[in-house]
Amino acid sequence: MSMFGMLATMKLGEATSGGGFWMPENASTVAAEVDGLFYFINNVNYVSFALCVAILLFFAIRYYAKPSSHATFDPDAPTHNTPLELTWSVVPLLIVGVMFWLGMTGFLELMEAPSDSYEVRVTAQKWSWTFQHPEYGVTEAAELTVPLNKPVRLIMTSSDVLHSLFVPAFRVKNDVVPGRYSSLWFQATRPGQYRLYCTEYCGKDHSKMLAVVNVLPEDEFQERLGKLAREYEDIEDQDLPAYALSRLYNRCASCHSLDGKSGTGPSFKGLWDRTKKGSTVFTNGTSLKDLMGKGGEFEVPENYIRDSIVNPQRHIVQNYTGAMPTFQGQLKQRQIDALILMLKNLDQLVDDQGNVIEEPNLDNADISTGAQQ
Amino acid sequence: MTTMNTRSLEQPTLEDNYLTYTRGIMSWVLTLDHKRIGVMYLVSVLGAFLLGGVFALLVRTQLLVPDGLIMDQDQYNQAFTLHGGIMVFLVIIPSIPAALGNFVMPIMLGAKDVAFPRLNLMSYYLWVIGALCMVYAMVGGLDTGWTFYTPYSIDESSAMSGVIPAVTGAFILGFSSIFTGMNFIVTIHRLRPDGMTWFRMPLFLWSIYATAVIQVLATPVLGITLALLAVERAFGIGIFDPALGGDPVLYQHFFWFYSHPAVYIMVLPAMGIVSELIAVHSHRHIFGYSFIAWSSVAIAIFSFIVWGHHMFTSGQSQLMNVIFSFITFSVAIPSAVKVFNWLATMYKGAISWNTPMLYGMGFIVLFLIGGLTGLYLGTLAVDIHLHDTYFVVAHFHYTMMGSALIGFIGGLHHWWPKITGKMYNENAGRFAFVLFFIGYNMTFFTQFMLGSHGMPRRYGTYPADAGFQTYHIISTIGAYIMAIAFFTMAGYFLASVFGGRRAASNPWGGRSLEWQCTSPPPHDNFSEQPAVGDCYDFSVLRWDDATNGYVWREDIEHPGMTHSEASGE
Repeated sequence: MSMFGMLATMKLGEATSGGGFWMPENASTVAAEVDGLFYFINNVNYVSFALCVAILLFFAIRYYAKPSSHATFDPDAPTHNTPLELTWSVVPLLIVGVMFWLGMTGFLELMEAPSDSYEVRVTAQKWSWTFQHPEYGVTEAAELTVPLNKPVRLIMTSSDVLHSLFVPAFRVKNDVVPGRYSSLWFQATRPGQYRLYCTEYCGKDHSKMLAVVNVLPEDEFQERLGKLAREYEDIEDQDLPAYALSRLYNRCASCHSLDGKSGTGPSFKGLWDRTKKGSTVFTNGTSLKDLMGKGGEFEVPENYIRDSIVNPQRHIVQNYTGAMPTFQGQLKQRQIDALILMLKNLDQLVDDQGNVIEEPNLDNADISTGAQQ
Repeated sequence: MTTMNTRSLEQPTLEDNYLTYTRGIMSWVLTLDHKRIGVMYLVSVLGAFLLGGVFALLVRTQLLVPDGLIMDQDQYNQAFTLHGGIMVFLVIIPSIPAALGNFVMPIMLGAKDVAFPRLNLMSYYLWVIGALCMVYAMVGGLDTGWTFYTPYSIDESSAMSGVIPAVTGAFILGFSSIFTGMNFIVTIHRLRPDGMTWFRMPLFLWSIYATAVIQVLATPVLGITLALLAVERAFGIGIFDPALGGDPVLYQHFFWFYSHPAVYIMVLPAMGIVSELIAVHSHRHIFGYSFIAWSSVAIAIFSFIVWGHHMFTSGQSQLMNVIFSFITFSVAIPSAVKVFNWLATMYKGAISWNTPMLYGMGFIVLFLIGGLTGLYLGTLAVDIHLHDTYFVVAHFHYTMMGSALIGFIGGLHHWWPKITGKMYNENAGRFAFVLFFIGYNMTFFTQFMLGSHGMPRRYGTYPADAGFQTYHIISTIGAYIMAIAFFTMAGYFLASVFGGRRAASNPWGGRSLEWQCTSPPPHDNFSEQPAVGDCYDFSVLRWDDATNGYVWREDIEHPGMTHSEASGE
């Protein structure tokens, strides 16, 4: 059991201890109660299971008889016993009644977010998460930074199909539904990094739709969000491509490769070349060149890239399906600039196999500290 | 008196039975004999089981390593979708009612056939057409999961193009299921023999009856839902698509309104079989007959009002969650009652440890695990953590495979001598059971831990550092062991057909009517309608070394003679 327990313990970040044979580490205020209820049911089940299997084995061995031995059953054995049968109907009913009650009260608590919760808006799309902090004007992808010991409420919606947000360490989960908002809340009790999964099947890269919840003490949290808020404003123009690759590309990565391999969408390798030449052909048979001439929609080729990001369903490249969700409203102008610059300079940023040549130094651009906008 | 007694349990005839009654391929293709239709179902269902099993092994093999061993994401998504779709719609739902039920039920009633033999044959061909549609869906690809959740399934840019063929297949399979259910209801109402009141029916018939009621009442809802889904995908009418003002969660309500009762379409007949297995092989009167019978009815009724527990995290209202949690717990009681009754049936019995009994006992153990782990999922606060993780995968495999399918396999071993007239190798049967039982628990018990530690369902890859891999490796090895067990079964079943010992009319000592005709039964089952006694009173039987089976005891009165014999002809 201890071997399993050790194997099952998550090894992610520093604050990931505390996992057991049955439950992973816990790092939220509700986790202890959920675990307590889990172990209560566990104990009831261990006893009931052991009892039934012991009786089964005892009878099976005690009353074993080969047919050819001509041994017969005891003709006096009872065929029914109403008091006994009523007892074993009513006792389990009482036990599950207790389980129901504890489960209900725990659940209602789980659902009721404190009124002073810190709110984060979550958008799910195939196959990435976007976390927006309205108070700071910050948008994060693939990482959700939250303050320690403070209730956090997620207001979630989906821009395409069903998703579900699940953080095992917090014991919380809720579906993310297109066309409506759903919510969940938690209060993290230990700093560290915790995995966030999509748990509603959403297509091809469902199992790649992961993110990390980064729990920081209040002061570090404010500092971090302040930095993120000014990140793109404060950055030097020549650093923008490297930033786009390290901070924005992860939302494109599940569909657009850097090494020329086709994914759900076309590879980014050579994409700017194809765009400049207008050699891209669309599903309706027209090519980009037709739209690029004087007075054409994409007279300035950069506009094609911009349009593909904010309005991806208008022109679908041949041999691909229109699987891309829109990023309208999720990217600032300067972030779109950065992405276009990244595409233009891709051959300097990555090698032929799509490996990043040089990791940009993230901290250089963290000019402001702790300042809220 | 002695000669009369032995007449009703005369030696089986290999020359004159339902298999030799007529010959040629057309005599099978156009047969109206419930036994032949049952055998055709059996062969078809086992073929589908092989296909679904191949996909299961692909899924398990993929998960040996965190990045996936053999498939890309699209292929993996198709593999688990087809595994689920085939196993649910083509294997488990028809396995017991359509295959074993068809064969056994009319004989248990002392009848010559089901009430509507032509409808019965039509059900079979609808099954074939539905199965072909499902297989055709593989051409365009099907990656929605067997649940076809909207809006993914109605979005042309998301789900692959096999959705419409697949839901058409499921729609047609639904009709096959409805027709079988109607047929069985009428048969049980109208064709019971003299003396077989409702509460003297074998418990297998009670469970088949309860199942048939669910099939007739719930399946149309699935049909309508899937039709709406197909129309939505083809024409975009805006029922489920939020972009058109539809509600994607509405689909889940519709879907589970059928698919939760469908869980009981799967497991109720298995419970009926286990009631037979435990009583017959313990040679002991079933304990608490009426509690078991009524619990089947109770489960059938409750099954219609618990569907919301599939949607605890879907965003439905908290009040709905609480109500559905409450009703879900009440369905635990009739299931628990059955287990206690089976255990009490073994008390002071004379228990044979042969293969069907091992499956009966194995069922009790696996169903206990499946049922008890349901308690975590019914408990709201705990379910939020476990929902849509491998914990749920493990739970429903314990009920759908460990219970429903094991009931089917146990029943197959129980009635194999009756169906084929041959005995399989008993030691090989026990060996395969042990292999299966070990492999099964290795495969699925580990998945409880995977799930409680947060491994989500339907993942073709998983984080390497999350501690999941060890469990996945054990689980996959278990799946391979199970595959070996199933191939062993196929081996000794086939061997028995070609070289097995001839089966006695009553090799196990059963009292229900199917053990009173020869093995295999003649075309008309009985030459005269047999009289019926208490089908769980085994005191009138004794073991006979000469025939390797059970015969009537000569020294006491019993009702096991035909009317003409009773009247002293």
